[in-house]
Amino acid sequence: MMAAWVKGGATDADAAIEAAAHLFASAKVPVVTGLCADVGALRAAYGLAGVIGASLDPVAAPSLYAELGVLSRTGAMGTTPAEAVGRADLVVVVGNAPWDRPFLQDIAAAKPRRGRAAGSERTILSLGGPSNGQIRHVAYPVEPGGLAVSIAQLRAFAKGHLAGETAYADLARRLVAAHYGVVVYEPGEVGELGVEMLQGLVKDLNDVTRFFALPLADPFQGRALIQVAAWTTGQAPSTGFGRHVPEHDPWRFDGARQVREGEADAALWLSSLPSPRPDWLASLPSVAIVGEGSANATGDTAEIVIAVGVPGESTGGTLWNERRGTLTHSSAAGQPAALTAGAVLDAIRARITAKDSAAC
Amino acid sequence: MSTLTLRQEPPERLDLLNINPLSLGGLSEAEAAKLPVGTSRRGLTLGDCFTIRLDGSDTLTIEGGSSRLDRVGASLDGGTIRVEGDVGQRLGAGMAGGTLTVTGSAGPYSGSGASGGTITIEGDAGDHAGGAVYSAKAGLDGATLVIRGRAGDHLGDRMRRGMLLVGEAGAYAGARMIAGTIAATRVGDHPGYGMRRGTILAGATGALSPTFVETGTHDLVFLRLLARSLRALSPAHADLAAGALKRYSGDLATLSKGELWVAAG
Repeated sequence: MMAAWVKGGATDADAAIEAAAHLFASAKVPVVTGLCADVGALRAAYGLAGVIGASLDPVAAPSLYAELGVLSRTGAMGTTPAEAVGRADLVVVVGNAPWDRPFLQDIAAAKPRRGRAAGSERTILSLGGPSNGQIRHVAYPVEPGGLAVSIAQLRAFAKGHLAGETAYADLARRLVAAHYGVVVYEPGEVGELGVEMLQGLVKDLNDVTRFFALPLADPFQGRALIQVAAWTTGQAPSTGFGRHVPEHDPWRFDGARQVREGEADAALWLSSLPSPRPDWLASLPSVAIVGEGSANATGDTAEIVIAVGVPGESTGGTLWNERRGTLTHSSAAGQPAALTAGAVLDAIRARITAKDSAAC
Repeated sequence: MSTLTLRQEPPERLDLLNINPLSLGGLSEAEAAKLPVGTSRRGLTLGDCFTIRLDGSDTLTIEGGSSRLDRVGASLDGGTIRVEGDVGQRLGAGMAGGTLTVTGSAGPYSGSGASGGTITIEGDAGDHAGGAVYSAKAGLDGATLVIRGRAGDHLGDRMRRGMLLVGEAGAYAGARMIAGTIAATRVGDHPGYGMRRGTILAGATGALSPTFVETGTHDLVFLRLLARSLRALSPAHADLAAGALKRYSGDLATLSKGELWVAAG
C-alpha cells in the first residue's frame, strides 16, 4: 500500500507530488541527494535535475570518487569477480569492509580452476582486516598510520626499496610468489591515496607475475549511477545543472557542504533502496522518496514523503549486480507496487513543466 | 585601477573565471554589468552583485570578498588582481601569469594547475592548496603560491613545478608530488605520501610515513640557493633553509627521488 505525507499529515501520492512540484518550481539551488535507486529512477532524477537546475550528490560518492580519481589519472589493472574466483591462487583482502560481502565467501569456498594456478590451493591474506575465524586466512596488522600508509610500506618492500625480516617483507614475498594474485578492497574504506598506491603496487607486481585489483562496489547502487551519469552527461555523478549545462565539481556539489554553508534551498532525497538518511535533511524544505515499508517511510522524514516500490522486491528495476559485474533486471518478488520512484519523479517533472508552460 | 565592489554577501556561489583586467579592458561599465557570474537558475550578472568602476587599466581590485567567489583570477595571464577579503575555491586555477593577491582567506584548490605568475594569500587556505582538482594531472604547475597563514590538508597534492610557501599545513602535504618545492614552518602527518620527486622543507612535521628514511645531515649548495630564493618571499623560511637540517628520502613506495628536509633538533 502506497503512502505519502505532506508536513507530517498523511495524504495521497498525487497531493504529495503536487506539493513537491510546487517546492522545486520555486527553488533556486536545489540538491538531489541519495540516488540509491534503480536505473529508471536514476534516469528520471537526472531529467528532473535538468529541469529544476539541481545538483546531484550521491551517497555513494566517497567510494566512487576514491576509485574514479585514480582511474582517470593513473589507470587501473582490474579483474572481474568471476575471473578472480576461477584463477586466483592468492587473494589479499584489504581492510574490514570486504569481509561482510558474499563475494568473500564465494572465493574462499572455491579453488582456482583455470590458468597458471589451476589445481593449486588458494591462500587468503588479510591486511588490516578483522580477526574472525569464519574464513581461514593469514592476517597482517595495519600500520598506525592507517591502510594507506600500510599499503605504501608493503609496496616499498615489494619494490625492494625496504628490506628486513618484518611482517610486511613476508607479505611482499607472498605477493611476488603468486601465480595469479587478486587484491580485494572497498575503495571508500581505502581512500583515494590508498587506492592509487594499491594500483601502483599491482602494476609493480605485474613486472614479475600476474596480479589484479578487484574493487568491490559500494552498497548504494553507485555503479549503476555512474553508468547513468556517463551516458547522460559524459561526466561523473557529482554534477550540477544550475547553468543549464552539466558541470562536474565534487566539492561544489557536496550536498552536506551546500546545506552547511546556506547555499541550497531545497532537497530531494531519493532512496527507494536502503541508504543512510542525510542528517541535514530536516534543516531545509525537502522531499523524500523512500522504499515502502522502510524505517524512513514516515511523515517526519522530510517535509514531503512519498513511499514507493522497492526495486527487486515490490517492483521491478534494473540494478547493479555485483556478482556478475553488470546491470541486470530484478523482477518484483510478489504483486508489483502501484508506484515507482521513476514514475513519481517523472510526474513531479511533468507538473513543473506544465507550470512553466502556463506561465509563458 | 578598476574596482568591483561587492554590494552584499551573494546568495549563491559566483564564478569569476571571466572577470579579469584583460576581459574587462575593452568593455564599458554597462557591458561589464551584463557578464554572467551566477551559478544557479537566478542567472546573476556582474552588475547584480557588484558596483563596477572601470578605467581600462591592467589592475583590478575586488572590494569586499566572500567565500562564495570562485575561480577569482583563474586563467589569468597578465595584470594584477587584488581581493580585499575572502575568496572561494580554485583561486588562480590554471593561471599563466600576472599577480593575484587575497587579503583574506581562500577556499580549496588555490593555484591548482597554475603555470605562471604569483598568488599570495595573506590569510589561510583550504584543503588542496596547490593541489590537483579531480581528474587533473597536476596541481601547482610552475607558479609561485604564497600562503601566509595556515593551509589545510593535501597541500601541493600532485604538484608538478613551482614554489609553494606556507605558514603551516595539514596532513599529507606534498602527497603524490611530481616535482617542485614546498616550504613550510610546519606540516602535519605523512608529508610527501607517494611523492615521486620534489622537495619539501619543513620546520617540523607530524608523523612520518615509514617509507621515508633519514639520510643524515648535509651541507649542500642547493640549500644555500634555496635559502636565497626564499629570502624575497619570506625571511623566516629562508632562515629555515639556511639552518641545520635533517634529510629524509622518499617515498620509497614510488620512485624515491623526493626529499624531505626537516629542521634538526
